[in-house]
Amino acid sequence: MSRSLRGAAAVAGIGSTPYYKRGTSPHSALRLILEAILAACADAGLDAHDVDGFVSYANDLNEGLAVGAALGVREVRWSTMVWGGGGGGVAAAVNAAAAAVACGQAENVIVYRGITEADDGRQSYGKGHFPPLLSAHGVLTPVQVCALRTQRMLEVDGVPWSALEALVQASYYHAQRNPDAVGYGRPLDHETYAGSRWVSEPLRLFDCSRENDGAAAVLVTSAERARELRSVPAFVLSGVQGAGPGWSESAENNASYTSAGFHPAMVARLWAEAGLKPGEVDVVQVYENFSGPAVASLIDLGLCPPGAEAGSFMTVPNLVAPDGALPVNTAGGNIAEGFVHGIGLVLEAVRQIRGTSASQVPGADVSLLLGGPVAPLVSATVFGSAVTV
Amino acid sequence: MPEPLTTEPPALDGPVPAELVAIAERHGQVVAAGDHAATLADFRPDRTGQLLGSARLPGRLVSSRLLRLRAEPDGLVAAFIRYTAADGSQTVLRSRWIKLDQGWRVTQVRNVPDTPPVIAAAGPRDDGLDRPHWEGLRAGEVRVQRCAPCGHWIWAPQPLCPRCHSFDLTWPAVDPAGTIYSWTRTWQPFSPELSGHLPFVVVLAELPAAGGRRLLGVLRDGDGADVRVGQAVRGFIDLAPSPDAWPVLRWSLS
Repeated sequence: MSRSLRGAAAVAGIGSTPYYKRGTSPHSALRLILEAILAACADAGLDAHDVDGFVSYANDLNEGLAVGAALGVREVRWSTMVWGGGGGGVAAAVNAAAAAVACGQAENVIVYRGITEADDGRQSYGKGHFPPLLSAHGVLTPVQVCALRTQRMLEVDGVPWSALEALVQASYYHAQRNPDAVGYGRPLDHETYAGSRWVSEPLRLFDCSRENDGAAAVLVTSAERARELRSVPAFVLSGVQGAGPGWSESAENNASYTSAGFHPAMVARLWAEAGLKPGEVDVVQVYENFSGPAVASLIDLGLCPPGAEAGSFMTVPNLVAPDGALPVNTAGGNIAEGFVHGIGLVLEAVRQIRGTSASQVPGADVSLLLGGPVAPLVSATVFGSAVTV
Repeated sequence: MPEPLTTEPPALDGPVPAELVAIAERHGQVVAAGDHAATLADFRPDRTGQLLGSARLPGRLVSSRLLRLRAEPDGLVAAFIRYTAADGSQTVLRSRWIKLDQGWRVTQVRNVPDTPPVIAAAGPRDDGLDRPHWEGLRAGEVRVQRCAPCGHWIWAPQPLCPRCHSFDLTWPAVDPAGTIYSWTRTWQPFSPELSGHLPFVVVLAELPAAGGRRLLGVLRDGDGADVRVGQAVRGFIDLAPSPDAWPVLRWSLS
């Protein structure tokens, strides 16, 4: 009996609302989620009443059962919330949906995330992660924790500052080609980046993701069904989630402190199940709460060399589509496209397999999604085109 | 008491452009007058929110006085302005000015001398898991959780020893001497409680006496400190601001 996820499930539909400036959504988060789900189902050519599973992450305020009731689905067979770690759950949510489909627990599972400032409040992504052992010392927000880890990565590991800027510049470069991106029409030059205000050293304003109102959803179904539906399937080749030994909520006592949290056994499982090596990845969507942790993710995955050598790999030409060695965040990512807890990265990972990205990597057959660096939980999904399964 | 109308001129340290004297004096006057629009006009436009939230002044100011201008690296000039409130209290802000195309603008501002933020959430979490640590601070000690049978140091505190699964946990006092494992200087006013204390440096200190466990704390006198990983630090306990509040661990470069 096979215990592999490989090729059993696929994303067959994607949908999203616009990225609204935070606090300006005309509708509730629930309404935005419903809009996104209807769009994902329409994209797939599936009647939304046939959705039978819901997965979200990061304590989305709107439970799958409530969403299902609003949609009037015939039956809810699968309802999962990924615990822990904010955006670290994004790929884990896709994996949970794929697992449900792969073992026949459900047929059409929606993965969704929706946020509005009116419903969720400011900085909802950090809620519950700042107990007094952090907050008493003025450590109130994720950027400060990520700054502590990034500072050591720069100062001790020797990763050069330029690696952070290259990731940010690549994100803005791609956003200029994506009319749906919040950063569209706002190119970023070196002087603006380097002259921007400190948020928490070593992270400046442009090292930080945005905070938007919005929602997005993807439909995960069986590989067989996905082939019958309207859109090109993005098959799930492998998926991992978790936290390694000595990781997770520990008041900054994590082992491998400058890691993003993708420990070696987890990374090995990801590549082994996919039957791939890091060099075979065509394009990456890497969750960037902040630039430093995204660089740490790429190092953890073996996609970027550690230490000082990271600087020779992390250059804008290497990171941009169509010709870079490893294009990253081709829609602009959380930094330049918009931020709804990273759900937008899933949609872009799928677009690359479909060949419909505004910054398409020609012939992309392997598309990697990385969720939640430095968060208590991290996760990853490898998507592949039909030729990979 | 309002400042007298005629005062001695500000002290000038280093090559300070002459035009800044009048600019900084006028800035003090518009701030003291509560002229919000004129105050904002003096700020560097890409960071007005951060600047407004960084410094803290009492309400009802009656006067200002430019004490000193100091030339600093990268062409910046620091202006020390003392504000007097209606109740007679005095507050000094240090604004750093930068020459942009549109003229001199404030690019940083802070209260001086620097003091660490005092956070109301300091103290035990609701489930009491870390209460012995906070009670230790009240007793003048830095206590870190340790497993009695196997000696494993545990931080953040846990209900049981993750290594041997004993529930027999102790809270020995440790020598709060360590080295900087990492650090960050925070500039953004994430909470009103931070205003008046920005920027401040948070240090993650590794303690040999606690098995290498790492404890967070604000660095005392962090204003302008050249902080580096590996520097030696020593812990101090700031007394609670009120009887029902809790003391807080701080670090100091040793």
